[in-house]
Amino acid sequence: MTISSYTERAGHRTEEADGLSVPWSRPSPKRKGVSARMISAVTILLVLGAWGLSARLQLVSPVFLPSPVAVWNKFIVVARDSFVDATLLQHTVASLGRVFAALVAAILVGVPVGLAIGISTVGRGIFDPLLEFLRPIPPLAYLPLVIIWFGIGEPSKILVIAIAMLAPVALSTASGVRGVSQERIDAARSLGATRRQVVRHVILPSALPSILTGLRIALGAGWSTLVAAELVAATRGLGFMIQSAAQFLVTDVVIMGILVIAAIAFVLEFTIRRIERALVPWAGRE
Amino acid sequence: MNVLRGSMPHLVLDKISIHYDGQPAPAVERVSIDVAGDDFVVLVGRSGCGKTSLLNVAAGLVTPARGNATTDGRPITAPGSDRTVVFQNDALFPWLTARENVAFALRLRGVRPAERARRADELLALVKLGDAGDKRIWELSGGMRQRVGLARALAAEPQFLLLDEPLGALDALTRERMQTTLLDLWTASHAGVLMVTHGIEEALVLATRIVVLAPGPGRVVRSFEPGFSRRYAAGEGIRAIKADPAFAAARGELTDAIFEGEAA
Repeated sequence: MTISSYTERAGHRTEEADGLSVPWSRPSPKRKGVSARMISAVTILLVLGAWGLSARLQLVSPVFLPSPVAVWNKFIVVARDSFVDATLLQHTVASLGRVFAALVAAILVGVPVGLAIGISTVGRGIFDPLLEFLRPIPPLAYLPLVIIWFGIGEPSKILVIAIAMLAPVALSTASGVRGVSQERIDAARSLGATRRQVVRHVILPSALPSILTGLRIALGAGWSTLVAAELVAATRGLGFMIQSAAQFLVTDVVIMGILVIAAIAFVLEFTIRRIERALVPWAGRE
Repeated sequence: MNVLRGSMPHLVLDKISIHYDGQPAPAVERVSIDVAGDDFVVLVGRSGCGKTSLLNVAAGLVTPARGNATTDGRPITAPGSDRTVVFQNDALFPWLTARENVAFALRLRGVRPAERARRADELLALVKLGDAGDKRIWELSGGMRQRVGLARALAAEPQFLLLDEPLGALDALTRERMQTTLLDLWTASHAGVLMVTHGIEEALVLATRIVVLAPGPGRVVRSFEPGFSRRYAAGEGIRAIKADPAFAAARGELTDAIFEGEAA
């Protein structure tokens, strides 16, 4: 499969054929990108194949490793009917709702904090150690404390995710702010901008590419905190669905849930990259 | 050339010394420069002579250790739109179009959108970019970007234009063409110009007065009044001026002044 599709491409593009005839020359970026994607596709197919094969040969009991087909069927069933009293869509909406509520909270707190770190020594002195303290703590470690303080309701779940998102948002904002060229600020000041106007019209837009990168990282961090956040007293959500399934050893739902989480993470990443390109087309072109 | 000669503004640097924190010696010592409202003063000199520092004092971006910087007798304490700066790297805002960049100073002052777009288009036409208003900054060449930067600085209607090696990042041919653009703008804007450059020929073509600085610490060693820019303003062609034997002689003299006292 690899070979046939490769030769097909080489037939279409002569410069790739040239690249092939001198294998040790520096590969053109284009050719490298295409073949890397190809290798990725093959890798995924191989993993799926190995999974299907070992399930088929019953190398592992289906209780522990259901076949890909069984997982796919479960996906259809849960999407149409329900699992633990909610359809797959309802679980997904519940989880996405938490993550986006947390994202809004993280932006509202993180961007001003990052701005303060970036433009003032006092701000940096106050917030830098706090963020550095918060950043490496795994969500499961502060989850019990959040529950003791804020109870087992929805706010606790959102807070756990928001805490995981705060550091990436704030630190990316700060680094974006610090990266603003002094000449750009000086030019604005000489055109008559006040300190406030410099922040609003120069520093924030200059830092926007970096802030968006921070949001992308934060969304990844928040999404991966989801299962922890839904550990306690949730009745809906992808993380809750996986945990419930695990308790009853419904392994196909567990695997299906994991794949759905991964797929959504992929879509989110892709979407934000598109938004970045639309919103800050100048990034990397200055 | 200015009708209201009596009320002509002056940008005065009076016995300026600049001392940067952590540096053992002053960067500039007792330098005085007077830029009148119809002057085109060019600062030249070897690296480390403090020419950019002096420009930054005039801009209000650097505070001198001693001496007085004033415009119209008022002390310069901060940047202000009566003295706009154009930097070597255009420092344009890539999230705005060329027109919006030019209109930036007007936007800061709360000028209405329609009015500031009209003013910006006028200025873009003045720098021969009349049809580039909707272009994004990264779609423009280096020379075009610097033209937008000049138009943006002029939009504030400054009394003085401070140019920090504005042509330094451009290729030689573009630089050549930008020299006449600068002269045209100087004539059209009625602003006095203080400019820093490394280009000897550039200084001769543009300046009404050239101030030669020497390093260690920065100080004035010579002052020339080449007069070629007045000839251009009077209608003489730039090529004819450069071909004049007087131009070559002046270039030799200026080069000698810049490298005076330096071991060969």
